Amino acid sequence: MEIIANYGNVLIIMAIVFGVFMAWGIGANDVANAMGTSVGSGAVTIKQAIIIAVIFEFAGAILAGGEVTATIRKGILDASLFANEPHLLVYGMLASLLAAGSWLLIASSLGWPVSTTHSIVGAIVGFGAVGVGVDAVEWNQVVKIVMSWIASPVLAGIIAFTLFRSLQYLIIDTNHPFNNAKKYVPYYMFLVGLVVSLVTIFKGLKHVGLNFDTVTSYMLSIGFGIIIAIIGTFLIRNIHLDPDENKDFYYASMERVFGVLMIITAAAMAFAHGSNDVANAIGPLAAIYSIIDSGGMIGSKSALPVWILFVGGLGIAVGLITYGHKVIATIGTGITQLTPSRGFAATLAAAATVVIASGTGIPVSTTQVLVGAVLGVGLARGMAALDTRVINRIFLSWIITLPAGAFMSILFFFALKGAFGA
Amino acid sequence: MARTDNIASLFGKSPITPLQKHMKQVHSCLKDFAVFANAANAQDWEKAEIVCISINNKEEKADKLKKKLRMNLPSTFMMPFSRRDLLDVLLIQDSIANITKDIAGLMMTRHMVFPEQIADDFINLTKLCIKTSAAALMAVNELDELLETAFSSRQRKIVGKMIKTVNELEHETDDAQNDIRNKLFALESDLPPVDVMFYYRAIEWLGETADAAQKVGSRFEVMLTK
Repeated sequence: MEIIANYGNVLIIMAIVFGVFMAWGIGANDVANAMGTSVGSGAVTIKQAIIIAVIFEFAGAILAGGEVTATIRKGILDASLFANEPHLLVYGMLASLLAAGSWLLIASSLGWPVSTTHSIVGAIVGFGAVGVGVDAVEWNQVVKIVMSWIASPVLAGIIAFTLFRSLQYLIIDTNHPFNNAKKYVPYYMFLVGLVVSLVTIFKGLKHVGLNFDTVTSYMLSIGFGIIIAIIGTFLIRNIHLDPDENKDFYYASMERVFGVLMIITAAAMAFAHGSNDVANAIGPLAAIYSIIDSGGMIGSKSALPVWILFVGGLGIAVGLITYGHKVIATIGTGITQLTPSRGFAATLAAAATVVIASGTGIPVSTTQVLVGAVLGVGLARGMAALDTRVINRIFLSWIITLPAGAFMSILFFFALKGAFGA
Repeated sequence: MARTDNIASLFGKSPITPLQKHMKQVHSCLKDFAVFANAANAQDWEKAEIVCISINNKEEKADKLKKKLRMNLPSTFMMPFSRRDLLDVLLIQDSIANITKDIAGLMMTRHMVFPEQIADDFINLTKLCIKTSAAALMAVNELDELLETAFSSRQRKIVGKMIKTVNELEHETDDAQNDIRNKLFALESDLPPVDVMFYYRAIEWLGETADAAQKVGSRFEVMLTK
């Protein structure tokens, strides 16, 4: 308790600095991957992508980021074991932030595959198991999270496959793909609005102090979906069949309709990403803050202060503006074979999967979910050539990042213990 | 702080445009042979020489395109068709250019001039072979539409019809080939035997270009059904 009273301010400032650094890193790198399919499909320009990302990453972080933050903050470790030595949890969380942040720097400079989510989870498990004791880790929860890393890309792939097949059946493989696109696209827009708002209203808003009963929640979600569909219908109203186009080939005009849909889907993706990844940066910060704020009490019931979500969202936005736009440009131009219809199916599938994971409080890797979704479209024969070597890299990132994050957080944990006293 | 493991690395280079480009190159090589045959017929060997060089260059270019496509097609690629089928189509496409080069080379070195009774038939056969290869090229050019529709049954039917046309044209070349052989057989006794031998060979090889075009079509169809 003394340590917290003496060094509380120093510790919390360190936590904020490292948390913001992590958030900055997420904005600088991970957002680009989340926006990659949208920019790559050519439906969203790089400038639009950055504007969409800044707004919706921020909104996602604040409105729906609470659940995953709660998991990182108090779901992976058994907080009650720290009741007598709360400062150890503070060291550990700080060490985890440091470990994940420096691991991201090292791995990036070496060109190794990394995932923010995996490094932070690995780091927390690492200091918990070695620094405190194997019992400190909620292994059930950890197993659940690890399983979700396999399940989430697979689920996204299945959704993307189904979505794309439905597009083929209803729109592409018909006599009038363009007319059918205009007819059915608003329904898909409704779907986008519904999924995002359901998760946000049921799971996210309680963290910002809003509570609705079940019926109101459903009504609000449906209402929001309808609003999105109406906006979309309004936007595609002005798209007309290009008379210069080949009579047998309506696909270019059809793709323009999907282009509009893609803008909305890109927003949903940014929202989903913000809601899941902000926790990696601010989960530990939230844990540290609540301990120090309560003077060393480990109250797992304490609410998450909204300003912390705000800091995370802001960090992501700054990362995006200062550096992320370059990465978005690089990635966007690197993806040439995606058309808006494919981009839509893959991005919506990924966004839905990530947003559902956010609602259940599970930290997943957005990039890997997106890879699963694109492969799903590929299985539906929608893509010319996908390089499956990416799958190897995903496994590699699991094998390398988890132990690396764990190892480094253990080092930092003992270093902090030495510096501030046990 | 840029990372290499971004989502862009998932997207490989599409083999579709390169395959179409190769077929176009091969077809252009065969088209040159019509010019060559006319020049040879007119005994304009200077012009024939120039066209022959052009045929060789085009064959070489096709070869380079073939190698480039193969190099850019790692076995880890997930494509909407089997990699094996694609490579087969490519190989058969390439054989059209190879055969064309061989006939032109043979006719050039021997300064081969067909007897006037069958000269026009040979030119007609050339035109028919070019038509067959053009039909195959048309089918291959549908590959982007096929991909856009994710190989929908509708689009596959359109391509199926094109491939049927290729088959019909190939039958016509078979008939034309037979006609020339029959005519040549009637003339045989009045012609130098070695020349006759090579007339038969040139006719046979020319027919093989249409055969190859047909094979491109049927292999292409197999590729679509996956």
